[in-house]
Amino acid sequence: MDAQKVDMFIMTNGKFFEAHQVAIIRDRMLQLDDTKWATIQTMQFKDPTTSLIISLLGGSLGIDRFLIGDTGLGIGKLLTCGGLGIWAIIDWFMIMGATREKNMAKLQQIL
Amino acid sequence: MGRNKFYLFLATACTAGYVWIFVNTVYRTNNFQLNTCIIKHVTDIPCPSCGTTRSMISILNGDFVSAMLWNPLGFVMAFLLIICPLLISYDLLYKKQFLLNTYLRVESYFKIKKVAIPMSLLIIGNWIWNIYKDL
Repeated sequence: MDAQKVDMFIMTNGKFFEAHQVAIIRDRMLQLDDTKWATIQTMQFKDPTTSLIISLLGGSLGIDRFLIGDTGLGIGKLLTCGGLGIWAIIDWFMIMGATREKNMAKLQQIL
Repeated sequence: MGRNKFYLFLATACTAGYVWIFVNTVYRTNNFQLNTCIIKHVTDIPCPSCGTTRSMISILNGDFVSAMLWNPLGFVMAFLLIICPLLISYDLLYKKQFLLNTYLRVESYFKIKKVAIPMSLLIIGNWIWNIYKDL
């Protein structure tokens, strides 16, 4: 794929991935052929900041985990009052990383 | 999440659950009640799963009717607390991943709208009942 297109993608969507993954994403995308560009460009990623806000407000109901697609963990959080309140607090710090990992897993299906 | 990480997480959660139930059965009196629910502390409104501990203590005492009246989710939690350690030890002994596969299957099942919506309605109904009971 064209280096200019790849850099444009990285600039717009860099915040959705972990810093150490960006270099790998760039390398992989440079090897892809141009037919995948339309699919990659229109992909929707979850914003880590949004999930942090949801986690602060509805963390003990597990809504943050439901949002990023971890339905099982969400149910676990919902049934235990946010893991006795402790898991909810831990997730305030973990949820942004978890969201970025989910985004990466989504992008990896194409790369 | 990998197999070992998932099992470690689940084992920690189960241990925490058993410690929690133990502490509550031994030290709970009318004057001293442990309460870790953030929603209850912040808003003074009970959350959907408030009363689960009291429900499970009722189950331990064999009083299933009052367990149902405290919170029906107590039965779900009691079932999970019994079945999870058994399945974890089975999988670790025989080097299988039955529990992880079951978890993933159930998770994908709950993502289907026809299942998710009735379940959410049940939880919301339970929540309204909890607020009505003023747990």
